[in-house]
Amino acid sequence: MLGFLVGEAFRDLRRAGRVAVSAVVLITLSLAALGGFWLVSSNIGRAVAKWRDQVRIVVYLKREPSAGEVVALLERVRAMPGVAGVVFIGKADALRSLKQVLGKDASVVDQLPANPLPASLEVTPSATAATPEGARELLTRLAGLPETDEVAGGGDWVERLAQWQRLLATIGLGVGAVLAVAAILTVTTATTLILHARRHETEIMRLVGAPELTIRLPVLLQGMMQGLAGAVLALGTLVITHSVVAPRLEPLVNLTLGLSQIVFLTPLGVLTLLGGGTLLGGLGGWLARAAREP
Amino acid sequence: MIELHRVSKVYSVGPVKVPALREVSFRINKGEFVVLTGPSGAGKTTLLRLLYRDDLPSEGDVEVLGASLVGLGRSQVAALRRSIGVVFQDAKLLPVRTVYENVAFVLRVLGTPRREITARAFDALRVVGLSARAQAYPAQLSQGEAQRAALARAIVRRPPLLLADEPTGNLDESMASEIVGVLKDIGAGGTTIVLATHQARLAASLRRRTLTLGGGRVVKDEG
Repeated sequence: MLGFLVGEAFRDLRRAGRVAVSAVVLITLSLAALGGFWLVSSNIGRAVAKWRDQVRIVVYLKREPSAGEVVALLERVRAMPGVAGVVFIGKADALRSLKQVLGKDASVVDQLPANPLPASLEVTPSATAATPEGARELLTRLAGLPETDEVAGGGDWVERLAQWQRLLATIGLGVGAVLAVAAILTVTTATTLILHARRHETEIMRLVGAPELTIRLPVLLQGMMQGLAGAVLALGTLVITHSVVAPRLEPLVNLTLGLSQIVFLTPLGVLTLLGGGTLLGGLGGWLARAAREP
Repeated sequence: MIELHRVSKVYSVGPVKVPALREVSFRINKGEFVVLTGPSGAGKTTLLRLLYRDDLPSEGDVEVLGASLVGLGRSQVAALRRSIGVVFQDAKLLPVRTVYENVAFVLRVLGTPRREITARAFDALRVVGLSARAQAYPAQLSQGEAQRAALARAIVRRPPLLLADEPTGNLDESMASEIVGVLKDIGAGGTTIVLATHQARLAASLRRRTLTLGGGRVVKDEG
């Protein structure tokens, strides 16, 4: 019976001809757009996650505290909500770091009459403080310390990157949704043609008492087949594009976002695209059926 | 087998009510060959449509194969129709399928095992004398052959009840007598047959029980 139903679905697809091909192309376009934006967005998401882990807040102190004051200060900062860790950097440590950074030009530092660098605290925010609101609250708390001269750093730019990621995902969803609606309408048109072409079969099937499932399933199946074919083509397009474009873009992405490679969609993402395409096609088939049979 | 109790059918055409059947009652026993005759518009087709539950009566009750057809659900209607073969004036063959495929199609949609389909389809074609034309397409058939193919399709499930609505309406006299001969053969095998025809001469030549309809009523029940 399954062979019969699938065979009928293929026969229906052949009947729909060019309209079915148009539907497959539209599903391919919508899923390729959706998958493309998803791929870019997920890679930016990886960069955001990576940079969030490396965000540090530097609290410059008014004066270098004594050893006893440092211990007490560190304890107070560690007790603050949103702090994962804190390190004290004394004036001498800061100067040493500067010399390391300057390398062969480090002798410039020796010309200075005194160490101009302030002592500081390097605060690592916890995951709860990684949100814009959480980070702002932590900055306010740190600025409120009596020892604080100035607070610098924070994850503002990381949040801006995260906003770009969300914007891209939204655009992807929008473009994908518009194309998906067009695809559903095309599958509905193709299915309506198929229903018209197979009306005699349907009449005979009802006349001889065929189960409703046998009558309806081929129509749903052909819609799902169109959707699945579109999804497979979209995935193929994405795989080829990724394999061609990713190696060329990776040096730039490494330099700007710190990602060594542009990864493809996860297996779950691939399955979601395939399932989404099949669902789109099935929905088109179902809508055509529902419109003709109240 | 078939029992009608005071069955009326009224069609509504906008605000106008058109009565097609008026308080029709009769009974047909298992194995009977009944001819339903009367002029065009007498209600023959309406009556047959009620028998295979293509429509419902406005009043009264229709019993077929022991079941009242009023109030049947979709799946129950499908189950009923699996026990009824129907033939129409136009053969309603599927043009893109061969004669064999048209007959086998019925078995395939009902989930008959593949190995049974060929044997049963060819058996039905043998009964109607169309085995040699199994691979022909409907467009290649004469009207008589097309009607015999439709008969093969109707009997391939070996239904206990066969309804034939003007199966000879489009045929000349010799082709019509061929079809009637096939119907008699099928009836001889124990199938209950209801044949609707407006051809009075054909009805008389059959020498079977004849129900004559006129103005939506049974005006004569003889034979």
